[in-house]
Amino acid sequence: MITAEILSRARQEKRKVLTEIEAKQILGEAGITCTSTVLATSKEKAVSVSEEFGYPVVLKVSSVDITHKSDSGGVKVNLKSRVEVEEAYEAIMTSCRAYAPSADIEGVSVQPMARPGTEIIMGMIHDKSFGPVVMFGLGGVFVEVLKDVAFRIVPIEKADAVDMMEEIKGKKLLAGYRGKEPADIERLQKMLVQLSDFVNATPGIEEIDMNPVFAYSDGAMVVDARIILSEE
Amino acid sequence: MMDLFFKPKSVAIVGASGSPGKLGYVIVNNIAGSDFAGDVYPVNPKADEILGYKVYKSVTDIPGEVDLVITALPTPKMTVATLEECAKKGVKAIIIESAGFAEMGGDGKVYQQQIVDIAKKNNIRVMGPNCSGIVSRGIVTSIYPMTKKVPQGNVVLIGQSGLLAAGMASDIVENESLNISKVCSIGNKCDVNENDLLEYFGNEEDVDVISMYLETITDGRNLTRIAKKVAAKKPVIFLSGGRTEAGAKAAMSHTGSIASNAKIVEAAVKQTGMIMADDFTELKDFAKVFSTQPLPKGNRVAVITLAGSVGVNVSDLCASHGLELPKLTPETTEKLKDMFDTPVSNPIDLYFSVTKIGFTKTLETTFPEAFRDANIDAAVLILAGFEYTQEAVQKKIIQKIVKEVGKPLVVCMIVGYNKYKHVIMDEMGKELPVFPSLISGVKALSKLCEYGIRRQKLSA
Repeated sequence: MITAEILSRARQEKRKVLTEIEAKQILGEAGITCTSTVLATSKEKAVSVSEEFGYPVVLKVSSVDITHKSDSGGVKVNLKSRVEVEEAYEAIMTSCRAYAPSADIEGVSVQPMARPGTEIIMGMIHDKSFGPVVMFGLGGVFVEVLKDVAFRIVPIEKADAVDMMEEIKGKKLLAGYRGKEPADIERLQKMLVQLSDFVNATPGIEEIDMNPVFAYSDGAMVVDARIILSEE
Repeated sequence: MMDLFFKPKSVAIVGASGSPGKLGYVIVNNIAGSDFAGDVYPVNPKADEILGYKVYKSVTDIPGEVDLVITALPTPKMTVATLEECAKKGVKAIIIESAGFAEMGGDGKVYQQQIVDIAKKNNIRVMGPNCSGIVSRGIVTSIYPMTKKVPQGNVVLIGQSGLLAAGMASDIVENESLNISKVCSIGNKCDVNENDLLEYFGNEEDVDVISMYLETITDGRNLTRIAKKVAAKKPVIFLSGGRTEAGAKAAMSHTGSIASNAKIVEAAVKQTGMIMADDFTELKDFAKVFSTQPLPKGNRVAVITLAGSVGVNVSDLCASHGLELPKLTPETTEKLKDMFDTPVSNPIDLYFSVTKIGFTKTLETTFPEAFRDANIDAAVLILAGFEYTQEAVQKKIIQKIVKEVGKPLVVCMIVGYNKYKHVIMDEMGKELPVFPSLISGVKALSKLCEYGIRRQKLSA
């Protein structure tokens, strides 16, 4: 239900880019665990949401016009107190207004600072010939420099998700390298199938990034997400 | 519906010609030379008889029913007019061989759209335009003259390019290098595309191997769905041209910027269980291995050689292509102890056995003993083209052993005198997969093993 509402509202507003909060609500409804993320339209609200979550928290600018949140100075992490949240809020607003003076900024998204895990990227793109395609890879340098990722055509089955994880060169890192916490492979496989099932059943989505996803030994969580809708 | 193309009872050739050398003549002559037993109706307003067949002024003048129409006309406009006539006549299958359509852009595109519109409205299936249609024992519509009868084999070759498919067909038929059943070229794919043919041949019982070359993928989502079904039953060898590494330029996501066309095609191949070929030769070579050899149960290979250095090279190639070279069982090692100066290892060097009992006898006794070993799923046999190999080749010993042992084998040729080498390549190559290099043989065998293992998993 939430998904349909968000999509139709975005269509009405003639925008293709969903906010991080919208994206996480949609993925959440598809069964994919995301960090709780709440919109704060004022500094006071940002503080009260932070207190509710408990510190440390992350603040990110929430604007459909700003897609590169980090480049615009719109991301502040590891905020440990009320004062830090207030300062961060001000800093984000000042920097983003300077970066994009005409942007419509609705406020900031507030989320608890996720415990670091194995960094994963998952995503989807709609190919003209093959339709929706899903992607799996290790995050950070592995995806950015080495492009160590695997694709499959939607719909995928569990066996395809297993193959995708077998296919990447850095697969050993998932098992816990040099004493690091191993990743919950089963959970990651399930997430890929959920992502595939979701895009298979939901027309009108052009691209999805779940980047990063933090994988732990007992579960995984989407820390940042982006959804782009297709042209109508 | 597809049967009308491959098993028609009557065929009309629009643009048929009585002048040898003209395409319209070659097509009629090819049909005459095939096993086609139905009615043949050449259509040409200016002729009375071509190659003994009565000629009709137009498609609508033909008295009986027409299952299939082939057009080879000089202008797209005439082709469109012919389609209108075919619609009137009630024809349901047309192969348009003429070029000058969407591939030319401009007006050609418009004409092609007109053809699509007429076909849709009248429920007609169209193959082409800009193709060479079908080469088979039952019917040949290709524009290359056929020199021999097309075999009644178990391999189907689907190509997009008319010239290439027709050229490959002629080559295969003349040299008897592959046991083909049909070669079809689908050209601009204005209607009939790779998915139609893959589904059709997937269900044809006498087709064991499908080899396919595409320049463009019409509907990848459907291709994935169909290929997955077909590749679970029979091998589908796949070569795709025009793959690019660039991601979607306008992509706003990280995923989109990495998702190149090449990566997506590669993913589809892995997901469906198709076998990726990297060039045209592989399209044919892999088909040869798959159509003549049984599927192995695993990837454990015996390398049979007479020269140690060759064995070392093959071992390295096997390792880089995911093939294992296990030790033979103690039982086999014991049985063969008199034929080796040191206990038999893998690569299996037959030199000592040859010096002791001769080459032919070694191939008859030592080789099959090793090949039968329980640790072995398949073998690479390295042959040289010299006088001493000839007896074994003439007696078809290797063919007999492969049949008797029931495991797959590839033969690699590396040295030899031409007169002997050619006998092995060409004559033995009709029945067995014989390769002119080690890497081509090892790669083809690795594809067979990969597919064999996948099929084992599917049936488990």
